[in-house]
Amino acid sequence: MSPGIERGEIVNTGCRIFLVSFVALGLSWGAFVIAPAIQLGTQKQTSVLNSSEIYPEQRPGDATMGLQVYRRAGCAACHTMQLQQDGVQCDVVITGMGKTPGAVSNLLSSLSLKSLDKDDAQSASDQITAAGGKTEIHIVPTGGDVARGWGSRHSVSEDFLWDYPVQLGSVRMGPDLADVGSRLGSFSWQLEHLYAPQAVTKNSTMPPFRYLFVVQKPVNGVPSPDALQLPAQFAPPAGYEVVPTMAAKKLAAYLLSLHANVPLHDAPFTMASAAPAKSQAKKQ
Amino acid sequence: MNENVKIDPATSATCRVPLLALFGGAALWLVVGLALLLLASLNFHMPGIFSDRGWTTYGRMLAAGNDAILYGFAIPAALGVMLWILANLSESELVLPLVPVLAANIWHFGVLVGMAEIFTGNSTGFQWLEFQRGGSVLLFAAYMLIGISAMATFGARRERTLQPAHWFLLAALFWFPWIYTSANIFLVAWPVRGVAQAVIDWWFSNNLIFVWLTLVGLGTAFYYLPKFAGRPLQNQPLAFFGFVTFILFATWCGIPQGAPVPAWFPAASTTASILLIVPILSFLAVFVKTVAKANTQCKGGPFCYMKFGTTAFIISGLMLIPLGCPRFGVLAQYTEYAQAQTYLQILGFFSIVICGAVYELMPDAVGIQWPFRGFIRVQHWLFMLGLAVLVIPLAIGGIEQEMNNYDFKSGVVFMQISSAGLALLLLGSLLFAANIFVLTMKWKLGLAKSFLGVIKCPLESSEVKS
Amino acid sequence: MSNDLKDHTPAPSGSPGSGPALPVWVFSLTLVLLFLGGVYFDESSGWFNAQVYKPYTDANQLEAYQPVSGAAAIRAQGKLRYDMICAACHGPNGEGKPGQAPPLAGSEWVNDSAHTRLIEIPQLGLNGQVTVEGQSWSLSMAPMGAGLSDSDLAAVLTYVRSSWGNKGDDVSSDDVKTVRGGIAGHPAIPGETGLKAIKE
Repeated sequence: MSPGIERGEIVNTGCRIFLVSFVALGLSWGAFVIAPAIQLGTQKQTSVLNSSEIYPEQRPGDATMGLQVYRRAGCAACHTMQLQQDGVQCDVVITGMGKTPGAVSNLLSSLSLKSLDKDDAQSASDQITAAGGKTEIHIVPTGGDVARGWGSRHSVSEDFLWDYPVQLGSVRMGPDLADVGSRLGSFSWQLEHLYAPQAVTKNSTMPPFRYLFVVQKPVNGVPSPDALQLPAQFAPPAGYEVVPTMAAKKLAAYLLSLHANVPLHDAPFTMASAAPAKSQAKKQ
Repeated sequence: MNENVKIDPATSATCRVPLLALFGGAALWLVVGLALLLLASLNFHMPGIFSDRGWTTYGRMLAAGNDAILYGFAIPAALGVMLWILANLSESELVLPLVPVLAANIWHFGVLVGMAEIFTGNSTGFQWLEFQRGGSVLLFAAYMLIGISAMATFGARRERTLQPAHWFLLAALFWFPWIYTSANIFLVAWPVRGVAQAVIDWWFSNNLIFVWLTLVGLGTAFYYLPKFAGRPLQNQPLAFFGFVTFILFATWCGIPQGAPVPAWFPAASTTASILLIVPILSFLAVFVKTVAKANTQCKGGPFCYMKFGTTAFIISGLMLIPLGCPRFGVLAQYTEYAQAQTYLQILGFFSIVICGAVYELMPDAVGIQWPFRGFIRVQHWLFMLGLAVLVIPLAIGGIEQEMNNYDFKSGVVFMQISSAGLALLLLGSLLFAANIFVLTMKWKLGLAKSFLGVIKCPLESSEVKS
Repeated sequence: MSNDLKDHTPAPSGSPGSGPALPVWVFSLTLVLLFLGGVYFDESSGWFNAQVYKPYTDANQLEAYQPVSGAAAIRAQGKLRYDMICAACHGPNGEGKPGQAPPLAGSEWVNDSAHTRLIEIPQLGLNGQVTVEGQSWSLSMAPMGAGLSDSDLAAVLTYVRSSWGNKGDDVSSDDVKTVRGGIAGHPAIPGETGLKAIKE
């Protein structure tokens, strides 16, 4: 560096200050505004690994509107949608003992099959195959969020392709919701939980969202089919019923539409079943 | 208040009204913001307390409180201090003094509009950028008006050499319009698709809260510290090196380590966080060398504010660096640790430095002493204590929460303790607001008196004037 | 003590060396950290690849962890073909289509311990009456699988026999090859009688 810089003289005019600031801010602007707008902003649908299924599908209409309820209620102040994956490991799964089961089981006693890295898993698999057995290598994501059962893999940008505004959140005062639709897939459960969290989750610290519900006398004496079934402690006074508003139903539909449970090229893992994951979630 | 500082009477005369307009609203918003945060935190004591109305829901009160502090208090107060320092460094009057008065009113009205939008549920949904179009257009217009006045004042300077305060304040002046328009264009006006929104929001909030507030806060501190300490800023080249490396590296921080974006985003943030050690240590060295041999006691006055504020910045910067580290960052990013760092940056470092500057400059600008001088020392202690009670439990609770497998029930106790910190801060901010309010009243009363005097006996008063 | 405004202006630029210099530790620290930061970025960024997310650090590692080996891959390959060709009539979950195509889930023909019949059906087609799970179907299935390669057909059949509760053995492409060699030029299988006539 020249002596001028060392004494700070190079910035002795306002123009130079602006130039230095322009370069400094411009670099990060290019990297964190323009680059994501190009790289992530032009992203398209992809397909689920080893399947012709397109991912992500557009959310149903009420779920799309439910995202706006989520935004209005400020749910992102306490909930993230960013599943973490600390690592990945391989499990070797025996699918058949073949024609020489004795040789294979001898081999198995000397091999470890769980929590391997890819190379070790491949070599174990090769040895078993050579002995006549049949194996599969399962890709298993690891990490706190996976262990807690919050999801099966890390979140990727495709999960949020259709959302505006994307509500990733920044603080976890409550559990991560990226895969909540697969985890807690019942519409009535979601509604009851919104009305009285402690009624369905004993230790919940979540404040209730009673303003999304109406406590009313049954209209014309006919109980509403939507009325919540609540434990006595949380139930309304006798002769009244708790009915969700449209907003509550949309919010619940949105929560049910949150799935991050299919393997993608950028988030690979082995699914437990060959059946498509989405239809499993529908059945629940 | 420092009797040795010479102030050009023309500077005081022209700055007076704009500063009163900017600081008056700012003090009010600080009280409102802290009160909202305190109310929001009552949810941790009584979860059902605000559940029957949409506008009192936790998410809205938190966003409104945060924005009232950032947009209502921090930015207008910063702009006022910036105008004052630029005018003083130029040794000239404030150019176009009525423009900032107008701008201050537009700004505070814009914040009001934005707050109303948050409470009615019409926020944008992007953290730290919750104001919708209506509010943000007003804020931008007001900022540009103040910017015109500030640049004109800078251009009219008699002393051509730039001071360290100049580097920081000019960079800050230039920073905000760029990041604010970028964020609003890409997130609100013509939103980009998918997760790119989140990346741009992180970039914006890091640039506003970490970079912009630091530029103004350190510019102010580096202007006042040498005056209070009675010796020049020690090792100006080091301060300059710190400035350049800070704006080069700090702008790249802010992407969470576990964000659902391709790995190069968080990796770039990590690299920047590692490099951030350089400017922070440089600033620390400049600060310690300048202040260490000062032979003045601070006695709870503005000097104390500057020292405390700068120390809070060093801690806030050192708290930010581990957030960028892959291991610790993943552990702490979603816990209250990150929130503790943000609050330390805004309420610890920035508010303290700016309050200190306001306490120092207003008597000179208005020509009236503070009505409650004892409050200055009390507020200093209240803020120190309040921050300790707010930030330390949040930081510890954050770490504990992740270690504890996100047991939310046990984590709530840390939030409950931190409510007490917010209450202390609210008390301190009330003292600040009371001082500014009564000062303004006194000044208006004085104005009315002299005006009445002119009407009653014009001759006499004109003789007095001459 | 003079606190005059001008007392901290820098030294006049005409006197080189008079002002304080930048300490050496700052340079060294910056260089060291630049190096460390560069190494970290090189190792973990995936160099701007849009597919590489944490915890993966580069594209090659990501490729290595794609689940494409062993039976899982065969089933996945089978699912891909099944969804394209068979699912239109037999349903994405093998539930069948009333009046058109019998279910595959739980079907005794699918779960048959021998699989020669199952290999022949998609290659030759099936015309006539067949009883599946106690229900009688009158079928006219075209040879939908005749165009598939040995390995693709084997994968489809393996997928069908191991999904939706089915518990049949895997079908290898060698099996398909053997059967295919023996039935070249045969007409469509004439219903259940024809199926039962196929020798295992």
